[in-house]
Amino acid sequence: MESRVVNKGQISELLDKLAKDYNLIAPIKEETMTLFRRVSGAQDVLLDYNNSDISPKGCFLPQNEKTFSYMYTGDTLEINKPVGTQKTVLFGARPCDIKAILTFDPVFDGVKFGDEYYSSKRESTVIIGLSCAKVLSTCFCYAMGGGPCDTTGSDLLLTEIGDKYYVEVITEKGQALVDAYSQIIAKQDTAQLAKDKDELAKKLSGEFVRKVDLTGVKELMDNNFELPYWAGDDQKKCIGCGTCTYVCPTCHCFDIFDYTTGDFTGDRLRCWDSCMFPEYTLEAGGHNPRPSRKERIRNRFMHKIKYHLDRYNMVGCVGCGRCVNKCPVNIDITKIINDLKEVAQNA
Amino acid sequence: MPNPTALTPYPATITKIDVEAGDTKTFTVVFDDPEIMENFGNQPGQVCMLSAFGEGESTISITSSPTRGKFLEFCVRRVGRLTSVLHQMEVGQKIGVRGPYGNGFPYEMMKGKDLFFIGGGSALAPIRSLIDFVLSDQYRKDYGKVEILYGARSMDDVLFKSDLAERWPAIANTGIYTTIDRAEEGWNGHVGFVPPFIEEVAPTPENKIAIIAGPPILIKLGLAVMEKLGFKDEQIITTLEMRMKCCLGKCGRCNVGSKFICVDGPVFSLAQLKQMPPEY
Repeated sequence: MESRVVNKGQISELLDKLAKDYNLIAPIKEETMTLFRRVSGAQDVLLDYNNSDISPKGCFLPQNEKTFSYMYTGDTLEINKPVGTQKTVLFGARPCDIKAILTFDPVFDGVKFGDEYYSSKRESTVIIGLSCAKVLSTCFCYAMGGGPCDTTGSDLLLTEIGDKYYVEVITEKGQALVDAYSQIIAKQDTAQLAKDKDELAKKLSGEFVRKVDLTGVKELMDNNFELPYWAGDDQKKCIGCGTCTYVCPTCHCFDIFDYTTGDFTGDRLRCWDSCMFPEYTLEAGGHNPRPSRKERIRNRFMHKIKYHLDRYNMVGCVGCGRCVNKCPVNIDITKIINDLKEVAQNA
Repeated sequence: MPNPTALTPYPATITKIDVEAGDTKTFTVVFDDPEIMENFGNQPGQVCMLSAFGEGESTISITSSPTRGKFLEFCVRRVGRLTSVLHQMEVGQKIGVRGPYGNGFPYEMMKGKDLFFIGGGSALAPIRSLIDFVLSDQYRKDYGKVEILYGARSMDDVLFKSDLAERWPAIANTGIYTTIDRAEEGWNGHVGFVPPFIEEVAPTPENKIAIIAGPPILIKLGLAVMEKLGFKDEQIITTLEMRMKCCLGKCGRCNVGSKFICVDGPVFSLAQLKQMPPEY
């Protein structure tokens, strides 16, 4: 498809217009955190950021979501589902986080069961990606099949080049949007910008400091469920805080419960959950199939590097590096992947 | 078939409550919308999510066979928060039900064969749907001898007492073997744990499928006995349970390796189980 240009001086105008026409979700600074929130205009948007503390996954799977409300008096029961989904633009998401959304699709838009809450948001949202300008020390998207300027999953991808944004149109949805804003997202000769983007991508790809190679790791794990490695010192230090799962853009597990709002009324909510908590698999009868951190850690990492691949043919990690950055005891998925290769080969 | 994609349950009314044991009740439930009841299409071995509004949802197996009529039975032991709320409910009160979920028992492949059911404790509930299915007037001719070996902790803990004592023995070509863990006054049957009792009854593997359900320890020891008796992995069927929230393969927690119990199970053959990590 075509490519276009936005002058940096006009990006505020574009954001203001998008905020008027759409439910605009964009990166903002909230106290010390960079995260994605609904914004009312360009003044709230943080364009100069490296990687947000929390991924924009909440755009499609909100941290807390009402699935319906009920009124139950004991004899009569009424169930009301929320109606309508707003037209939304997710602006400024990084390529790794957008790739992560693609790992959600087969889960929620499954062959067997769909998910109306997810699909309606997914359909009504235009994703405008923003290429990375920098590679952080925790980044390893290249090892998971992505890249700092990767277009995968975006409807439009913006890349900052000099005083311009180079705009690549990836999908029909993206095309419709640029056509509607063609006064700002202008048609111009983009041949030089395309070259500049390739140069940038090449330059950034040489800046990764973390060396990870996923080749063959799944195959090694296929026949190595029981490894003493999972009970080793590196894993024992896990304090089970669940941070890795909350900041992870591919973690999609949720809990469902009722929140009482009155004598007879309440909401059924689904909220992010974490496989790192013992209660996650604790059965009412007292049995817990993953009773200690060893099993829980193994399950989390096996999910990322094997189970998601087995099930959906996609690796369940995009290399955003958040878990590496945020883990309070420095558990590092890149080290685990490299260790596993060695451990399993010698097993 | 009702839309099983939604996380929204259908309103249903409790029409009957049978007290099975001190901590276990069987609830008969009918959907308020007759069309949903008519088209629910549940298969033996499938499960539902039951809602007690204000408390949440839990996965409960359907204990009734679809051959018995347009209603659902759920046998529920009071063990946690939601089941405690259910146990306080009365006939006429409303709950939410969504489903049916899971693969159910492979009753087609069992045709023409003898069936040997092994149940321990409350695990008679999930296999009862298949027992009643194969013993129904409609399908009885498709299956050979049907035997049921069931063990409970005590006399009071024996579930479906009238099924075991009257209804099932009255059907031709059936065999019922019951045991309780410790001797009690008034109990004339076998005393002892299920695995050694299986060895005593000694079912032969020829043209037979064994369906085994129970707490993890019973499954583990029971399977060892069955293998000793000569049953092949393909001849042994079991049904698993794990904590679930969505029952749609999305909430994440009921995975055993790459499989989700809720959509790929809950029914697995021993041959399939051996391909999966022992984490259930």
